[in-house]
Parts: sequence; structure tokens; C-alpha cells
Amino acid sequence: MDDMEDDTTIFSTLKSFKSLISCPDRSLLETEPAFGRSGLQNLYTKRVELEEAAERVRSHTNLLQLTQEKQQMELSHKRARIELEKEANSSSRDLQREIDRNRELLLQIRRLEEREEKANQALNEQMENNKALKRNFEELHKKANEKDSKLAEADQMISELKDETRRLNQQIQIQESKFSTQNLEIQALQEQLDVQRKKFQDVSQRYQNLQTSHSTSTESELKIKELERRLALQEQDSVIVKNMKSEVARLPELEREIKRLREENTFLRETKENNSLLREETEGLRRKLERMERAMEEKLKVELEKEKLEHELQAWENIGQSTGLNIRKPEDLSREVIQIQQRELNLKQQNYTLNSSIRSVEKARTELMPEIAQLRAKAQEEQKKRENQDSLVRRLQKRVLLLTKERDGMRAILESYDSELATSEYSPQLMLRVKEAEDMLQKVQTHNTEMETQLSKAQEEAGSFKLQAQMKLHCIVFVFLRQKIEELESERQQLEEQNNILEMRLERHNLQGGYDPVTTKVIHLQMNPTSIAKQQRTEEVEQLRVECQRLRDRLRKIEAGGGMTTDDTTLIIPPSQEILDLRKQMESAELKNQRLKEVFQKKIQEFRTACYVLTGYQIDITVENQYRLTSVYAEHMEDSLLFKSTGPVGSMQLLETDFSRTLTGLVDLHLFHQKSIPVFLSAVTIELFSRQTVT
Amino acid sequence: MSKTLKGITLKGSAELVAEFFSFGINSILYQRGIYPAETFTRVTQYDMSLQLTTDAKLKNYLTNVISQLKEWLFDCTVQKLVVVITCLETNEVLERWQFDLECDKTFFLPDQCKYESIQEEIRSVIRQITATVTFLPLLETACAFDLLIYTDKDLEVPEQWEESGPQLIDQSEEVRLRSFTTTIHKVNSMVAYKRTNST
Repeated sequence: MDDMEDDTTIFSTLKSFKSLISCPDRSLLETEPAFGRSGLQNLYTKRVELEEAAERVRSHTNLLQLTQEKQQMELSHKRARIELEKEANSSSRDLQREIDRNRELLLQIRRLEEREEKANQALNEQMENNKALKRNFEELHKKANEKDSKLAEADQMISELKDETRRLNQQIQIQESKFSTQNLEIQALQEQLDVQRKKFQDVSQRYQNLQTSHSTSTESELKIKELERRLALQEQDSVIVKNMKSEVARLPELEREIKRLREENTFLRETKENNSLLREETEGLRRKLERMERAMEEKLKVELEKEKLEHELQAWENIGQSTGLNIRKPEDLSREVIQIQQRELNLKQQNYTLNSSIRSVEKARTELMPEIAQLRAKAQEEQKKRENQDSLVRRLQKRVLLLTKERDGMRAILESYDSELATSEYSPQLMLRVKEAEDMLQKVQTHNTEMETQLSKAQEEAGSFKLQAQMKLHCIVFVFLRQKIEELESERQQLEEQNNILEMRLERHNLQGGYDPVTTKVIHLQMNPTSIAKQQRTEEVEQLRVECQRLRDRLRKIEAGGGMTTDDTTLIIPPSQEILDLRKQMESAELKNQRLKEVFQKKIQEFRTACYVLTGYQIDITVENQYRLTSVYAEHMEDSLLFKSTGPVGSMQLLETDFSRTLTGLVDLHLFHQKSIPVFLSAVTIELFSRQTVT
Repeated sequence: MSKTLKGITLKGSAELVAEFFSFGINSILYQRGIYPAETFTRVTQYDMSLQLTTDAKLKNYLTNVISQLKEWLFDCTVQKLVVVITCLETNEVLERWQFDLECDKTFFLPDQCKYESIQEEIRSVIRQITATVTFLPLLETACAFDLLIYTDKDLEVPEQWEESGPQLIDQSEEVRLRSFTTTIHKVNSMVAYKRTNST
């Protein structure tokens, strides 16, 4: 619509323009027939109006254009807005769709996540199950292994047990065999047992018989003892009866005596009381007597004492008169005595203090003496110094005087000079000189005062030095005394320690039994058990030695003699019969041996000579199996053949000798070829015999 | 036995001390086995049962020594009595029982001194001698004993007595025992024995 409106406006504007254009043309035309000058102005004004109208139109067209443009713009804007709204709608729809999709996707995602979680859980569970299963599996595996091992062990055990059973079976067999043998033994033993039982029965019977007889004998003995006892008792009874008879006979006499005694008793009891009374009286009288006697003695003593005391009293009373003091009573005397004693004590105290002070003062004095000497020397030195200084002072004073005199002289000279010469020129010089001189004077005065002060100081120092010396003296004395005290105390402690040590040593020494030979000696009886025991011991030892020696000699003799022990042995062991028999047997056996030896010797000698003569060879055995044959017809003594026995059979071999080397032909012939030793030997004898007979 | 009523005299004190020594030496010989136990017989003394030897030679020897000792106690010239036990094989001194005597010559007659208290003290000393057997080393070898008396140097030595050495023990251990006093004589007892290397 807007477009339409725009179009309408545009058309309207066009129309207006056109109208305008036409107007101005008319206006132009209308105006032309008007006059020349008004025409230009009119033209101009028309032009101007036209221009203005054109400008108005232009501006109007511009406006219209602008409005159109604006409308177009607005249209386009609207379109755009619409499009945008459409797009927005579409986009919103898309958005919603997307949102829905998003939601759906989120839901899906959640579901998927849930599924995933479930799946994970399931997975974990499965894993756990898996692990559990694995564990179970492992456990089962272990169990299986254990069971295998157990099985193996069981197998081993089984095999061992089988071995054991085999062994046990063997043992059982052995045991059975032993058992059988033992059964046989048992049977034999049982037979023996039967025999022994029979014997036992016999013996038991005999024993029973013996016992019965023994019991009967004991019973009879008991009966005998009882009878004997009864006999003894009866005898005792008889004796008692006899005694009783005698006593009974005495009875009437005793009765008479009893009566008499009773009478006496009553009489005595009566008199007893009187007696006791009388005794008490006598005792009382005796005591009185004693008391009286004691009283008399005391009275005598008292009288004696009284006299003594009277004498003493008179003496005491006289003391008062003799000494002249105001003494009437002993109390005064005691008071006087106490006073005197107090005075004496005070005086003594004073005396002691004075003595101690004197000693201390003397000690101090003696110690101070050298120091005083030192100080005196020092004082003397100081004095000398002072004197020197005094002399110096005097010299200085003299110098001062001299200087003053010089000064006066100089002044006089100067005045003279002043008086002689003009003063204006020389007065300053003189004044200068005067000033110089005055300065010199002042210097000298100051020097003087200084010297005086020095002198005073020196004097003061000397005085203070003396004081110091005195103080030092005291201090030195004090320090010295302290040192001495400390040294003495340390010495005392050391000495105490040494004393203690020595006392302990002495105690130990005393305990162990030591003594001081200067003051004590140790004695004992000569015949005391220890010496006696020692003597006995030495005697025993001597005896034992002598016995030992005797036994040794006897032993030697026994060994040397060979059984004949008859002479000078004091201890003769009686030879038992066995030993004698054995000795005889030994002797006979030895004799037999000797005879046999002689016989064998003879026989051997005979046999050998026979062999030599018959065979012509002397056979000697040199070494164990070697036999040396020397022929009868041997040319030299050393010619011999050596044969060695090989084997137990009796085969012999010829050994090489010098002689056999000369007989090699015979050896080859007879021994190697013919293998006969007797032939060889006979051949050798023939050879030698032929040699001998020939030569 | 002097049961003095008022107090102890010098003579009574000497007799008491000599009696104590007699029984004490017998106890030592019995406890240490110097003589066989069957040669001892039981007697009652100081209200206790003690052993006394029956060997005639030993009795004779003891009476000789104790009687001489009593005289010297009366004169207050004796300082110590020592029982020396020697081993016969090695001639070494194995034990020494030493009794120190202190004599107070300046005595007064005291009235407090009682016989019963002295007896009590003697009893405790003899009991202690018996008790020492527990710690003294065994005397395994045959031993003999001797009695030595320490006197003043200027004392005249009677016949049958001779001077001898102190017979000390080499490497000894000493133990002090109780003492008793009669106010005139004071007896201190101690025993010294040879140290054994096996402990």
C-alpha cells in the first residue's frame, strides 16, 4: 500500500511539477507583450521566480524523493523486519527444535550415562566376582597343592609304614624263632623245676618237723622259766614273811612307845608357848641392850666431837681476834674468804691478760723491730733528703738574696744611667730592662714558692709515709699471723690423719698378734702339745723310713734269690702251701727243659756229623732259608755252595758264589739240563776228589 | 669358786678369768676338732653345758699353764693369752685365738659388781666361740695347739717355760669377738685365721 501511496505521491508531484512548468511558461508568455524594460525585470523576476519555483520544485522533488526513499526504506525496513521476523520465527522454531533435540539428546545422554553406570557397576561386580573367583581358585589351588603334598606325605608315610611292617614282620619271625627256642628251654627248666619242687617239698616237710620240735622246745623252756620265776617269787615271799613276822613281833613295843610319845607331845606343846614368850622377851631385852650399848658408844663419840668442836670454835673465835678483821660469825669469815678469792681470781685474770698482752706485744715488738729498723733507715733517708732540700732551699734563698742584690745594683746602675743620660731615649730601654728585671724577680719568686711547696709536700709525705709504714706494719703482722695460723691448722689436720692411720695400723698389728719386744715377751711351756706332736711325727716318719728301707732290701733279695727267703728278714710272710707246690713244679719243669735241650743238642750233633761223613757235605744254615754246603774235599775253607729254599715244597735254588762260578759246566749240565741237585752235588764231590787225588 | 658377796677381789677376779680360760680352751679344742670328740665329756658351767677333756696328758698340761696364769693374773703381769693351732704336715699356723688382758690395779671395792652379770658376759663369749665354727675354714689336716702367754719383759721366766716367737699367721683375716670384764680384769677376745685361696 505504501508503494501505492508512494506512487500516488510521485504522480501527484509530477503533476504539480508539470503544472508549474506550464504556469511559468504562461507567465512568460503573458508577460512578453508587455514593454521592453519591464519585460527584463519581469523576466528576471520571473526567472527568479522560476528559479525559486524550480528550486522549490527541486526541493520538493528532493523531498519527494527523500520521502520516497524514506518510504522505500521504510518498506524495505518493513520487509526486512518481516523477513527478520520470519527468520526469527524460523530460527526460533529451529531453536525450539534444537532445544527439543537438545533435551532429547540430554535425556539420551542421561540414559546412556545411567546405562554406562549400570554397565560399570555390572563391570565392577563382575570384576569383583572375577577376583573372588580367582581367589577361590587360588585357594582351591592351594588346597589342591596342600592335598597333593599331604598325599605325597601320606604316600611316604605309607611306604615307611610298609617298610616298618616288613621290619616288624622280620622281627616277629625272629621273635618267634626265639620263642620256640625259649619254649624248649622252658620245658627243660620246668622239668628241673619239678625236680626242685619235689626236693623243696621234702625239705619243707623236714623244716616243719624241725619247727614243731623247736616250738615244743621253746614252750618247754618258757614253762621252765615261769616255774623258775614262781620259785623266786615264792622265795622272796618267804623272806618277806619272815621279816613281817619279826616286825609283827615288835608291834606291842611300838604301841607302848607311841603312847609315851603322845604324852610327851602334849607336854611339849604346853611348854612351847611358854618358850616362845620367853624367847621374845629375851630378844627384846637383847635388842635393848644392843641399842643401849650403841647409844653409849655414840654418846662417847658425840662428847669427843663436842670437845673437838669447842676447840675449833675457840680457834675460829680467836681467828677473828688474831687477824683483826670484823669477824664474829663464820659467815663473815666465809664472806672474807670469798672476797679474797674473788680478788685473787681478778688478779689472776688480770695477770693472765697482762701476760698474754705482754706476749703479744713482745711478739709484735720483735716482729716490728726489723721493720722499725727499716723504717728508721727510710726515715733517715727522708731526713737526709729533707736536709738536702733544706740546703737547696737555703741555697735558693741565698741566690734570691744575691739576685735581689743584683737587681738593686742593676736598678741603681740603671738609675745612675738614667740620671746621667737623657731619659726620653733610654727610659723605654730602662723601663724594658726594669720590666725584664721585674719579670726575673717574679720568676725567681715563683720558683721560690714552688720550692717551698715542694718542701712542705716532702714533709707531709714523710709524715704520711710514717703513718703508712705503721699501718703496713699492722697489716703485715696480721697477715703473717693468719698465715701462721692456717699453716698450723693444716699441719694439725695432717698430724691427726697420720695419727688415725697409725692407730689403725697398731690395732691391726695388735689383732694379728704383734707386740712391742721392748715391753713384752712371749713364753710357753717347753713340753707343749705342738712340740710333742711334732716330735711324734718326726719319730713316725723315721720309723716309716726305716721300715721302707727294710722292705726295699727284702724285695731286692726276693728278686735276686728267686724264692729262697730265709735269712735276716724280720718280716717273714709265711709261705703258703700253693706257692711251695708251684715252686717245686717250676723247678721240675726247668730241669726237664734243660735235659731236653741237652738231649736235642747231642742228637743234632750226631746227625750232622753223620750227614757230613755220609754225603760229604757240611750243611749250615746261615740265614733263614739259605743253606751253605762245604765239601769234605774242598780245596779252600771258603769254598761253599749256597742254596736258597723257595716255597714250602722243598725246592732249592743255587745262589751265586765264587766257588760256584768255577763250576759253571757242572751247573749247566746237572742243574739246567738234568735239573737234579743230588747229581750235581755228587758230581762236585767227584770233581773235587779227583782234583785232590790228582794234586 | 669364789662367790664373793660384796664385790670382787683381785684374787677372785684372777680365779674367774683363769676358770674362763680353762673352759674356753677346752671349747676351742672340742669345736675345732684338735682332739677327737670322744675324748671330751659334758659338764655344766656358767648355766650352760660345755665340753671338758678327759685326756690325762692334756689335762695335766692345761692345769700347769692355768695355775701359772692365775699367779700372773694376780700380779697383773700378763698381757695376752694366745691359742695357736698349727698344721702338723706343713708346720704352718692356721688359727690364732688371742685373748687380751687389761688389769686395772687401781681398783676400788665396787658394790654394784655382780657375779651374775660377769657370768652372763662369759656365757656370751663362749657362745660366740661356738658360733665362729660357721665361718672358720675347715681344719682338714691333723693339727696341734700351743698356748702362748705375752708377759712383761722383766718377768722372771720359771723353769719348764721358754721364750718363743709370736707364731703369727701369714695372710690372716681377723675377727673381733665379745669381751667381758670383772672390773679388775678385762678380757678382749679375737680370732685370726689363715685366708684360704679357694674363696
